[in-house]
Amino acid sequence: MTSEVPPAPPLLAMRAIAKSFPGVRALKGVDLTVHSGEVVALLGENGAGKSTLMNILAGLHSDYEGVIERDGERVDIHRPKDAARHGIGMIHQELNLVPGLSAAENILLGREPRTSRGTVDRKAMDRRAAALLAGLGLDTPPRRLVKDCRIAEQQLIEVAKALSLNVRVLVMDEPTSALADAEVQRLFTVIRELTAQGVGIVYISHRIEELEAVADSVTVLRDGSHAGHRTMADTTRAELIRLMVGRPLGELFPRRPEQHSDGPVRLQISGLTRPDPSGGPALHGIDLTVRSGEIVGLAGLMGAGRSELLQAVFGAYGPRVRGRFTLDGKPYHPRTPGHAIRRGLALVAEDRKEQSLVLGNTVRFNGSLAALTRYRTAWRTVSRRRERAAVAAQMTHLKVKTPSLESTVSDLSGGNQQKVVLARCLLTEPSVLLMDEPTRGIDVGAKAEIHALMDRLAAQGTAIVAVSSELPELIGMCDRILVLCEGRLTGEFHRDPAHGPPATQESILTAAMARETVTDGDPAAAAGRGTTITDAPGASPRTDGSRDD
Amino acid sequence: MTDTLPEQTQNGSPDVRTRARRLLPWLGSLQSYIGLVLIVAIGIATQGDTFLDQTNLTNAVGNFASRGILAVGVTLVILTAGIDLSVGSLLGFASMASAMMLANHDMPVWQIVPLCMLIGAAFGFVNGVGTSVLRIQSFVMTLAMLSIARGLDRQMSDNQSVGTTVAGPDGKLTENAEAFQSLGTPGHNVGVGFLGPDGVYYPVLAFVVVCVVFHLILSRTAFGRHIYAVGGNPTAARLSGINVTLVVIAVFTLSGMLAGFAGPIDAAYSVSADPQAGNTYELDAIAAAVIGGASLAGGKGTIIGTFVGALILTLLDNVLGLNAVSDNWQLVIKGLIVVVAVVLQRPGLLRTLRHRLTPAEKETAP
Repeated sequence: MTSEVPPAPPLLAMRAIAKSFPGVRALKGVDLTVHSGEVVALLGENGAGKSTLMNILAGLHSDYEGVIERDGERVDIHRPKDAARHGIGMIHQELNLVPGLSAAENILLGREPRTSRGTVDRKAMDRRAAALLAGLGLDTPPRRLVKDCRIAEQQLIEVAKALSLNVRVLVMDEPTSALADAEVQRLFTVIRELTAQGVGIVYISHRIEELEAVADSVTVLRDGSHAGHRTMADTTRAELIRLMVGRPLGELFPRRPEQHSDGPVRLQISGLTRPDPSGGPALHGIDLTVRSGEIVGLAGLMGAGRSELLQAVFGAYGPRVRGRFTLDGKPYHPRTPGHAIRRGLALVAEDRKEQSLVLGNTVRFNGSLAALTRYRTAWRTVSRRRERAAVAAQMTHLKVKTPSLESTVSDLSGGNQQKVVLARCLLTEPSVLLMDEPTRGIDVGAKAEIHALMDRLAAQGTAIVAVSSELPELIGMCDRILVLCEGRLTGEFHRDPAHGPPATQESILTAAMARETVTDGDPAAAAGRGTTITDAPGASPRTDGSRDD
Repeated sequence: MTDTLPEQTQNGSPDVRTRARRLLPWLGSLQSYIGLVLIVAIGIATQGDTFLDQTNLTNAVGNFASRGILAVGVTLVILTAGIDLSVGSLLGFASMASAMMLANHDMPVWQIVPLCMLIGAAFGFVNGVGTSVLRIQSFVMTLAMLSIARGLDRQMSDNQSVGTTVAGPDGKLTENAEAFQSLGTPGHNVGVGFLGPDGVYYPVLAFVVVCVVFHLILSRTAFGRHIYAVGGNPTAARLSGINVTLVVIAVFTLSGMLAGFAGPIDAAYSVSADPQAGNTYELDAIAAAVIGGASLAGGKGTIIGTFVGALILTLLDNVLGLNAVSDNWQLVIKGLIVVVAVVLQRPGLLRTLRHRLTPAEKETAP
């Protein structure tokens, strides 16, 4: 690796990069400059060309126009090997780890230290891995299998892997999309340590508030073009959003300030308990009521049991869930997802690629999958005409950008894929909509549209339960926010302070970490009733979701 | 790759191109048609009239029909990301059962065929339960069933083949045996007068009808969609309200049922049930599905594709046979065809090739 010259040509310069795919001009001459020790945020809606630009840098695309310079020297990067040779590392949004191998084996994959006999020197490997992990403040045992690590740990294992390659430029694509807020802070610490060592970082994220915390400058892409470059200190969130979408977005969240907690009860749960034999998050005596027109948020750290709560209600764990449920006034007990859908529940699952979409199939296929019985003909076949009309109507309603209904879903951008998932849910005409991270990893424009949709659905009488790791989103969208910690309810916060303790980032975070932060009894936050959890770390919280030990 | 494309009409009247695009997925892959045309062309070029002779073609397809029917069942299983290795043995068992029903009990065809289908379905059901409920990988489960069914077949028949040309006291075929022979012997065509002056060779008719029925099930019914969903993403299928367990059991049961249906046809075609009947047929069936564009990863494939794949294998056998290529080389060529077909069907093959070539050129220039 060449060392930097004091007058410092930039660590990395990409100039006039252009790239076409069949039928699409994905990039139209984009510049990106990264200096040593700098964090450059790359911002843009999905489809703006961020991924294409970064894939070029990582050597995944062999044919493109433009010049890439490292330390002022022109380099040819046409395959992943080239990128590695020039000290460029990339951490993809979907982590590239082998789940069945240990942390150390993953970090040194393909570069395992050998003994004199030619076998893998496991001791040396573990030693090197442990040192790298310790450098990132991680005490994960090097022999732990990656599949047994938490997502945050896996993320840092990826970082360790990149560092072991002596990376000088590190691209991080949505590194925080699967992390809860506390874990994000840890990642930021690592990023600051890396930049202190002179590494340049390209940081891709849709969460602007994160960029404010970590980035030095920001390059905005729009429709494959360079929309602007700003230093972080000299710009505002509104300006960035305007650069990104090309128009002012107005209010970030469309929901009006009043709280809608007075409709008829749609879903009532009391004492939901699910012991998890496999060691995952269990649920203990959870009470939850959602009314028509209400959006209830579920907050909590990773592993707090938020997704599990939605899945349990939806019947994904079968009938072995304890507790009493009523749905639209009638008794209900989770059985199977099919049963839940017939009863008027719908679930937008957490991971749209793994849990929601049949990626290789068409928009039409995915959109109508849960509602096929509605288009049944006398011959028990699916009426393709009615099916197509229904899906097309939803596509228009949700403003899905797709060349046709017969396009393959995997060709759509993340936001449009998520809208297809939403279309599937809406086509079953649910009375209660369960949404798990409905806006994860999608661009600002699509996010705003989904928020507006949630508001509209609530106004039409749908009850919504939404899980999100983005607190501003929860606070901006929800009438009430319930906080889970280790499978127990540890707080309830309200949009309108007249109803109870108000929802603020501080109060929610405190409740979310109620069982971890024993000493952090923040007296200021304990003003409201719901925040008393901090001073009772071991005992049951006094919110309505008391546990039944 | 996923750059925003301009919004196009989603509601307006579909023009020819969108119609074609909707049709395309059901037609299977273009490459397999090219392969079919190529083989026909070779057949005509080398053997001309002999190849095109109707008797030749009918016999060729009839010879392969029972394997073609197996291929339809196997396609269903492959679509759910499973595999069914037991169909050959199930066919063998059903063929033996049918011959014994005829020879020992003088049962009429209309009883034999449904009974054989039931027997096959029962075996398939066990495969399905083993795969979905007991969570045994389908490869292992059906490999075990391959062995079990073959063993039962041989035990039942005492390792002796059973003839189906059962003669009555007058020395002529009994009425039931006569009817049974029409299931598979040329000259005993069905639907004479009704389906043309000579009628239709039954195995060909059976194969085509099975293809049509299962094509309609796959493309038109909710059950068909569920099969694709289960193979494409089982978690998504389950969360969309699909009973994945039930779909998997159904698919294996149908595959077994089709093997049971093909059994009597094979017995009639061979004029006897051999304890080894159907051995390695599962490989031809899987090959037909794969040549037709089915992906073992699940969720991708069509019955039309499998039909074309079966035709390719049939005509290939025929053309090679007519040209006196030895059986051994036929096997080698068949294997090569499978490999070529799968490689050709890879999406974006041409693009990948171009990518591979471009940087190599660039690297030569400093």
